[in-house]
Amino acid sequence: MLITGIRSKPVYAPLQPDLAGRYHVMVGHGVGAAPLARLLGELISAAPAALAHTRIWYVRDPASPQSNADAFRAAHVAELRTFDRVDPLLADLTAAMDQALMGTRLYVAGPESFMGLIMRIAHEFNLAGDEVRAEECGTMARRVHCIHCRAIIEGVRTNIVECGCKRWLVVRDHYSRRLAAYMGVMVDAEAPGERPDVKEVFL
Amino acid sequence: MNVAFKQDQVYRGDYTFRNSPTAIRRFPMPFPEDRYMYSVNIEPHMGGPEGSVIEFPIDCDEHYVEECRERAIVIDNDPLRIQALPHMMSAQWDTLELGMQSLSQSYPDKFTLTRNGRNWHWINRPLELDQKFIFGEPKSLPYEPLEYITRQLQGDWVIMDQRDNDLWVEGGMVTGPADWSMDFDMGMSFKEWHGPVPLGHEMGVFDRALKFLLNLRLNEPVRRYNWTMTVNANLDSSPHNYPDWGPDRATVTMDNVAKKLHLRTELQGLWRLPRSNGIVFMVRTYMLSLGDIATVPKWARRVHRVLRDLHPALVDYKGLTRHRPTAVAWLSQFDDGSPTTPGIAPE
Amino acid sequence: MSAGHADHADTIPVRVVAIDEVTPQIRRFTLEPIAGGELPAFSGGSHIIVVMRGAQRVYRNPYSLMSSPHDLGNYQISVLRVDPSRGGSAHMHEQVRVGSEIEIAHPVNLFALAKLARKHLLLAGGIGITPFMAQLHDLRAGNVPYELHYATRSPAHGAYCGLLSSTEPSCVSLYHDSNKHFIDIEGLLGRQPLGTHVYVCGPAGMITRVLDTAHALGWPDSHVHYEKFAAPPTGDAFDATLLRSGIEVHVQPDQSLLEAIEAAGVDAPYLCRGGVCGFCRTEVVSLDGELVHNDHFLSDEEKASGKVIMPCVSRAHCRKLVLDL
Repeated sequence: MLITGIRSKPVYAPLQPDLAGRYHVMVGHGVGAAPLARLLGELISAAPAALAHTRIWYVRDPASPQSNADAFRAAHVAELRTFDRVDPLLADLTAAMDQALMGTRLYVAGPESFMGLIMRIAHEFNLAGDEVRAEECGTMARRVHCIHCRAIIEGVRTNIVECGCKRWLVVRDHYSRRLAAYMGVMVDAEAPGERPDVKEVFL
Repeated sequence: MNVAFKQDQVYRGDYTFRNSPTAIRRFPMPFPEDRYMYSVNIEPHMGGPEGSVIEFPIDCDEHYVEECRERAIVIDNDPLRIQALPHMMSAQWDTLELGMQSLSQSYPDKFTLTRNGRNWHWINRPLELDQKFIFGEPKSLPYEPLEYITRQLQGDWVIMDQRDNDLWVEGGMVTGPADWSMDFDMGMSFKEWHGPVPLGHEMGVFDRALKFLLNLRLNEPVRRYNWTMTVNANLDSSPHNYPDWGPDRATVTMDNVAKKLHLRTELQGLWRLPRSNGIVFMVRTYMLSLGDIATVPKWARRVHRVLRDLHPALVDYKGLTRHRPTAVAWLSQFDDGSPTTPGIAPE
Repeated sequence: MSAGHADHADTIPVRVVAIDEVTPQIRRFTLEPIAGGELPAFSGGSHIIVVMRGAQRVYRNPYSLMSSPHDLGNYQISVLRVDPSRGGSAHMHEQVRVGSEIEIAHPVNLFALAKLARKHLLLAGGIGITPFMAQLHDLRAGNVPYELHYATRSPAHGAYCGLLSSTEPSCVSLYHDSNKHFIDIEGLLGRQPLGTHVYVCGPAGMITRVLDTAHALGWPDSHVHYEKFAAPPTGDAFDATLLRSGIEVHVQPDQSLLEAIEAAGVDAPYLCRGGVCGFCRTEVVSLDGELVHNDHFLSDEEKASGKVIMPCVSRAHCRKLVLDL
């Protein structure tokens, strides 16, 4: 039972600077470096003074070669903090948001699973839709929440996936920001064993 | 076999659920005409014909006790079916007030509410409950207010916060859903949680519904109807336990479809809440087997035609694919092509 | 889709049990239900429409509830006597007495506190203090930090200043124009932590200043809330035809289009009566002239199209105007 053509996944767009913002917080993962560098360039040409109020958090992804902070280093932003792992970035960003002021804009670039984690921090600080912009890049692999055993499966690239609870799940186009994951539902409950072929679709 | 065990088999296991002739006649048929498509079919929820499911704001019918028992079983197995985010406490109290006020006014022989300032005394005779508590003080109740009252209400209940020109599902008691998960949907906005519904977005149905609900006023509740079908009288058809009820879809045959397949109508009620300024959403489910539908000639013809001509996207979304052919084939014996009167009343 | 009741048939009959002269211009009215018992529960920031049947016309004025949401034995509202008045506030001050019986609609809240705010910043000017008075009861009971900054012309004009500074000394700051002590809007808005919501209620000029400053400092619209108490703007008289009822309506200079329609006996839909909620949106069937849009709801395109109007506050200069009512 594969339900297709359903619209509830988040919509992302290429990052553009929000000149109405006073402080700019940019967060990137791996190949998110490229969109952030582009964003930075646009911000500098539109409002050079904004650099003094721009800060960047960036985590390298060892798996991707374009993953580097060189583009940012050249830009002389107010603060550039680089990490090798996601967790320390999350903690550091949270501490910074605790001191941040109204007028802040948040920009995120990276794979969706990373962005989901940043969005949860944004929600914790009551940042609304008009204060956050997100651009998806890198792997389209999905975080999947098994609706039956509630486990989270990371990095799902295929249309169906086997969960630790031994059920094969179809990944529905229904996304929870709270869980930062897509819903996975047992694919062959009605006809046990009848599964579609495994295909790589979220690459 | 002891009585308690028997009581647990109404909506599961042996499926001893049955509708009396009264329940059959008052069943809210969701099809006012011979074809079905979505609409923003919202209307004022301010009473209806005597004996009907809309006579009172919150309907308490012959299934009350067994449905409350079923709810308790579901929560026992999956406590996450009842949740509320911390900022929704005033909405919880608002819902408790609505439930107690409504039941005690509509069914004074069954329920009594006495208020003395913040000292409230609630008596629920069918469930043999006698509770004194302080309104606004969670510790004076055995459960948080939303759980306390919804354990005594039929239907699922969802509380929403209104902010940013949108509605957000941030609490609820959902033990009898038609294939959706409140746990998964917690925190979603109106259009997000309606995301999986096909066609509705393109039709602008959700835009108009949201605009209307944002202006929903105190003391002016509204209602609409939705429907699907269920194999066996299985109230709890949530995604969580889909592995349990999913296989039943493939067991429908011409021999058992009359008994097994149920039309499932949702009477949805929406109230503006006074202290939280939120909205509470009631999803009250009524089930009627195909066999019982066939006892009303007009309904047999109508349901046959609606199912036969249903838009394929709706067939898929409502999970009807496997058993619709059998249902249509079985119902066709009752359809001689004669016209049906508009509206849902039997002829 | 049925839009529900146009007129609020279910008003609540209440009796004025007390009138207090709070300042020379402001009177506080205490209302109790004629049927006894309690009034409906409400959320802070709500207002009620008070329906007053005067000799010449029916007044329907919105007033914020300022009493505690936890004390439902009565409602309290404060009415500023506006000069020149279209009649509503003058009627309240002159004709309504202790013992008068009036009708009120159920509370409506278009100015609610944000439940996920990490801090609430309340900015009040003059009579704009009223919705905050009710909200303070909820804020005190919660654990989210808040500040109230309240500006009045002078201590003599400062309604409830004494009450506020004695119950909330650390959260309330008072300002008086007469002392040349003004709210430092830019300073305040420039130093609030993430997740702060700002709420402003007061004269139109103050609201505009706060909105403009907030925008300039990068505040998103979602975190800026305002409530206006402006009466519908006056203007030249004009005529309108209601297509469905065939009725001709003449709109006086000091009467809104909505009021004229109601005076003609037609129940047009309304909610806030202030041009912000969109509920009274009406299609224009034909127009020979131009519309004068005074609302804050329609988009620029909609306003330019000449095809839609908000009768509660907007008007027309026209030879002909036909509405889909």
